[in-house]
Amino acid sequence: MLTAEEARRYSRQMQLPEIGLEGQVRIAAGRVMVAGLGGLGSIAAYYLAAAGVGCLKLVDRDRVALENLNRQILHSTADIGRPKSESAREKLRQLNPHCRVEAVHASIDDGSAEALLGDCSVIVDATDNRETRQALNRASVRHRLPFIYGGISGWDGMTATFIPGRGPCFSCLFPTREVANGLSPPPVLGPTAGIVASIQALETLRILVGCPPRLAGRLLRVSGLTMEFHSLPIDRNPLCPVCGGRTA
Amino acid sequence: MSDRIRIVVNGMPEEVPPSATLTDLIGLFGEMDPDLIVELNGRFVFAQDYAATRVAPNDRVEFIHPNFGG
Repeated sequence: MLTAEEARRYSRQMQLPEIGLEGQVRIAAGRVMVAGLGGLGSIAAYYLAAAGVGCLKLVDRDRVALENLNRQILHSTADIGRPKSESAREKLRQLNPHCRVEAVHASIDDGSAEALLGDCSVIVDATDNRETRQALNRASVRHRLPFIYGGISGWDGMTATFIPGRGPCFSCLFPTREVANGLSPPPVLGPTAGIVASIQALETLRILVGCPPRLAGRLLRVSGLTMEFHSLPIDRNPLCPVCGGRTA
Repeated sequence: MSDRIRIVVNGMPEEVPPSATLTDLIGLFGEMDPDLIVELNGRFVFAQDYAATRVAPNDRVEFIHPNFGG
């Protein structure tokens, strides 16, 4: 149940028939991993905490740097040099003390993904490279947990929701293991990250309240340059090294 | 008979050999990204099908570069 303070805090979203008291209680019971606390994670974690998600597991290996602050709006100038996980925990607790925030300053890879995931039931991917996403995707497929991919580059971004067993996984779309070396970080613009991460937060809330995610098996592309959204259906890849051929 | 067909690549009209496969087009347009996404007439094509997929006149091909920043 909700306290009177919580009922008031969430009253505007509880007016939605898809949420109501029942949905809000489900959101409060939700345990969500936000992997990465940069441009995407700043926004996704902020909206999820504000919406009343009961527990957020925040994982990032980096510290706040000056060049992050054009888009990573969970962090501020005074946070430069601090672990992003610590800075994020502080802000989210100020925003919503009902949200339990577990912040971990760590790298995500095949060895650590499972332990970091713990008993979270949804993975919000706010990482910044394919290899980390593939590690999270393998954990997602193994534990049959929804994986909500988001990525940005310059004016553009893309997002898709992968529901293991019911559609493609991240590696159906991006199967290569080839390590892209020598890549410099892409240009990034704050509002593009905001759009993509807001959609990821929406999909997460949909899943928590029991509404079907609308981007399952669909890659949504957003262009800040043309101001167009395109969506592309993605099937399960029969040759997928993670979910298709059952080799994982 | 023309030895080229007209297709649309990333929104631009292009002329390509009539039996070109997606693998040919990737080479022709210099797409080097190992994570390239290929859309043909609004449908996603798996990488394993590039070599066997031939384009036809008026096909629309999109080469999409993944966004992996965060």
